[in-house]
Amino acid sequence: MSGNRHEPQRRRDMAALAIAAGLLVAGAVMLWDSARLADLGGYSGVGPASVPRVVGFALIGLAVWTAIEALRGDFPQRPAQNIPPVLWIVAGLALQLVLLHLTGFSIATGILFAFTARAFGKRNLAMTIPIGIVFAFAVWAVFSQLLMLHLPAGPLEHLVFPRG
Amino acid sequence: MSAFDFLLQGLGTAADPMMLLYALIGVTLGTAVGVLPGIGPALTVALLLPVTYRLDPAGSLIMFAGIYYGGMYGGSTTSILLNTPGESASIITALEGNKMARKGRGGPALATAAIGSFIAGLIATLLLAFLAPWIVKVALVFGPREYFALMVLAFVTVSAAFGDSALRGLTSLFLGLALACVGIDQLTGQARLSFGVPELLDGIEVTTMAVAMFALGEALFIAGQRDQAEDEVTAVKGSVWMSRRDWARSWKPWLRGTVIGFPIGAMPAGGAEIGTFLSYATEKRLTRHPEEFGDGAIEGVAGPEAANNASAAGTLVPLLTLGLPTSATAAIMLAGFQQFGLQPGPLLFATNPTLVWGLIASLLIANAMLLVLNLPLIGLWVKLLTVPKPWLYAGILLFATLGTIGANPSSFELGMLLGFGVLGYVMRLFGYPIAPIVVGLILGPMAEQQLRRALAISQGDWTTLVQSPIAATLLAIAALALIVPLILRARGKGEMLSQLAGEED
Amino acid sequence: MKQFVLASLFAGAVAVPAMADYTIIAPANPGGGWDQTARTMQTVMQEEGISKSAQVQNVPGAGGTIGLAQFASQNNGNPDALIVGGYVMVGAILTNNSPVSLKDVTPIARLTGEYEAIVVPAASSIQDIQGLVEALKADPGAVSWAGGSAGGTDHIAVGLIAKAAGVDPTKINYIAYSGGGEALAAILGNQVTAGISSLGEFEAQIQAGTLRLLAVSSPERLEGVDAPTLQEAGLDVTLENWRMVAAAPGLSDEQKAKVTADIEKMAKSENWQKQLADKGWMDTWLAGPEFDAQLEKDISATEAILKDIGLVK
Repeated sequence: MSGNRHEPQRRRDMAALAIAAGLLVAGAVMLWDSARLADLGGYSGVGPASVPRVVGFALIGLAVWTAIEALRGDFPQRPAQNIPPVLWIVAGLALQLVLLHLTGFSIATGILFAFTARAFGKRNLAMTIPIGIVFAFAVWAVFSQLLMLHLPAGPLEHLVFPRG
Repeated sequence: MSAFDFLLQGLGTAADPMMLLYALIGVTLGTAVGVLPGIGPALTVALLLPVTYRLDPAGSLIMFAGIYYGGMYGGSTTSILLNTPGESASIITALEGNKMARKGRGGPALATAAIGSFIAGLIATLLLAFLAPWIVKVALVFGPREYFALMVLAFVTVSAAFGDSALRGLTSLFLGLALACVGIDQLTGQARLSFGVPELLDGIEVTTMAVAMFALGEALFIAGQRDQAEDEVTAVKGSVWMSRRDWARSWKPWLRGTVIGFPIGAMPAGGAEIGTFLSYATEKRLTRHPEEFGDGAIEGVAGPEAANNASAAGTLVPLLTLGLPTSATAAIMLAGFQQFGLQPGPLLFATNPTLVWGLIASLLIANAMLLVLNLPLIGLWVKLLTVPKPWLYAGILLFATLGTIGANPSSFELGMLLGFGVLGYVMRLFGYPIAPIVVGLILGPMAEQQLRRALAISQGDWTTLVQSPIAATLLAIAALALIVPLILRARGKGEMLSQLAGEED
Repeated sequence: MKQFVLASLFAGAVAVPAMADYTIIAPANPGGGWDQTARTMQTVMQEEGISKSAQVQNVPGAGGTIGLAQFASQNNGNPDALIVGGYVMVGAILTNNSPVSLKDVTPIARLTGEYEAIVVPAASSIQDIQGLVEALKADPGAVSWAGGSAGGTDHIAVGLIAKAAGVDPTKINYIAYSGGGEALAAILGNQVTAGISSLGEFEAQIQAGTLRLLAVSSPERLEGVDAPTLQEAGLDVTLENWRMVAAAPGLSDEQKAKVTADIEKMAKSENWQKQLADKGWMDTWLAGPEFDAQLEKDISATEAILKDIGLVK
């Protein structure tokens, strides 16, 4: 639909080819997994392996279609991306995942908060991490103490609410 | 006493100031917890049920009703403002609602959701009160083959409504269907695609996937945009309140959403999200502003929100008349009713009229209270969008992960959240639509199970699928919905292309 | 006024942090039987002063085996941790090849239980259990059974019935549904030949005359239930879907004794009995060596029948 599309642009699109390869692998995994299922179709004739098999073949078909479009350069233009902010958020989520059961909800989530803010331009982590931890702690207190939601507690939470 | 007298008596009890206060507290608590992405009404009610034990029966019943409606409604606010649908029934709301919010029309979007929910809740509760025994008879006619036909219809209408590229729409849908196969096969107990990982045995949690795809994927995508100013969000443009035009465009979708949502909610295996899908597809077909769909059409918020709330009341039909809890929320409500000495079942309306009508009156009051609480708050909610971007997105990620952690504090679940967030980012980058993958994950297992049940009952005879008049009709509508647009497109291709070209200049 | 109400509500809802106390794991989503058992225990323990602020935590997944595995690995020697479980877990451990079994925790007591009931829709031509068994013998595929999840109590019961009737258990046409509710709807809607679930699920419908009760899986006739046992009908099948509570692995004998005493105090309280009556649950209290022996017996019998049905190799 966009203007660029009308220009003859028959370049091979490597990223789109990678997607096609990914779909092919996903389809193959589906077929491989359904092959090892016992056929307990029983009276219906449609067993646990039937639907995965259909979906697996469909994914392989879509992989071929994607590859054709990629070779013809028919994939739409991608918006230019700035990768570091994306990595900051991914790192924040990964750290939260690792730290959650070690340091409790507030510290782990405070770090995620600060890293996300960094990705959007607040670069001073020395300021944003404490803000994040305080904010996350307030949220933790409201939801775990008042609304009885079970959220992981760590040293900080135990310090303020000895029972956690 | 007639049913009407019982209802009036119930309303009289509930109009006591103390009772209204309990209703308000219930609605506030329910909204506060239900607003978290990933925490649906089931967990909300389960968490807050003990609070109601401390009151007298009338008070606890009304507070309970408030928590239920508050929990149901809470999800739509964050869906609209932050694009973080908290449960499967509000995914569709996010599609158009968030687009509206980004253009400064968050106020009207929230208002049409709140008023639509109120109207749908009101009509559906009255239908429940007076027609429940008849509706349930119709609902029971639906067996596996009828449900399968309904799922096929939902698939066709919904997937026809997504995206401009058939390849990318289908790829997204089939990825969803592939993910839907993960876990224990319900009919034979065999583990599929779980590779020996116990956490995968129960399949992929729809809420985790929805929160990751929508909230995380969106945050990553916007963070990655080189020129962040390009994607400026306007907090408020024009009035926060609905204009005359908004009203004119909303009232029909509200009523249609109610008509679609209520019966589907009443069906034991219907599910609230199917009603929202069908309502969205209907509005897209009927609208006079098709160009706005996908770009913030108010009908796309009004209809599905009404359908969602109407189906919540519909769920109570089998619960009260048969004692059938058809959803996790309903199962917890059943536990709640038993606490009040209410034993749902076929004899309930006859043996315990005062309590039943008290409950129905409580639902009506709670529904009204929800409107009272939420309309004035809209101005405050939309201010949320004026929060500077770093803090806004930091807060969105905080609450999105809080919901997932609160529902299931396992590292594995958080890992899935991260993985699907990245997948959502990549899909956005390459122009894949997000909704079909989530729809595939929700509808895939339902359609598969119902098909296999139908075939097991018929002992492998495929003609059973069209031997029931209801199933045959639904399948025929699905076939028409698939074929007619193709014919229209073929006939009107030249016309449409020139129209498109005209718009783009 | 409003502040007072809010304050008193919250003071009531949020117990004051004071002493270390029980955390009860419900290895299922909110709403199910295990979750309700855990939340009822929470309420009664608090009201009886056994535990000042017991907490419930849901760890859903795979018939309770995810919760069980997490519980066993994280709480070794922790006397304050409890987990709710039941007969369904026994089957799930086998069908899922769970690395953690009930041997890896400390079973304390059986709390409640329900018997299975076999019903047909009121419009069905089948009048009694003999009629159903004859239909089953004539053509097992033509008799479709609606019940709970594959490999669960209901499925096991159908397998046992077929076996006792001399029909090949792999030939049963069992239609698995996710919740009791959906299966009940299929039976009421005349979609299937027969239905099987715990008696409580069907009771209201049986009273209203929309379902016909053919038999129950109890060892003796149940009070107030007008139906023969399976044994009376010549089928040697008894089955109880029980729920239990277990403590963490690695407890000392004193710790185990204290937990058992606390649970016994709870289960013998009037409060608990009232809750059971409200919910229609049967009190099937069993603890100590008797419970251990019963557990052992159930596990081996379940393994045998799951192999017969073909769900476990």
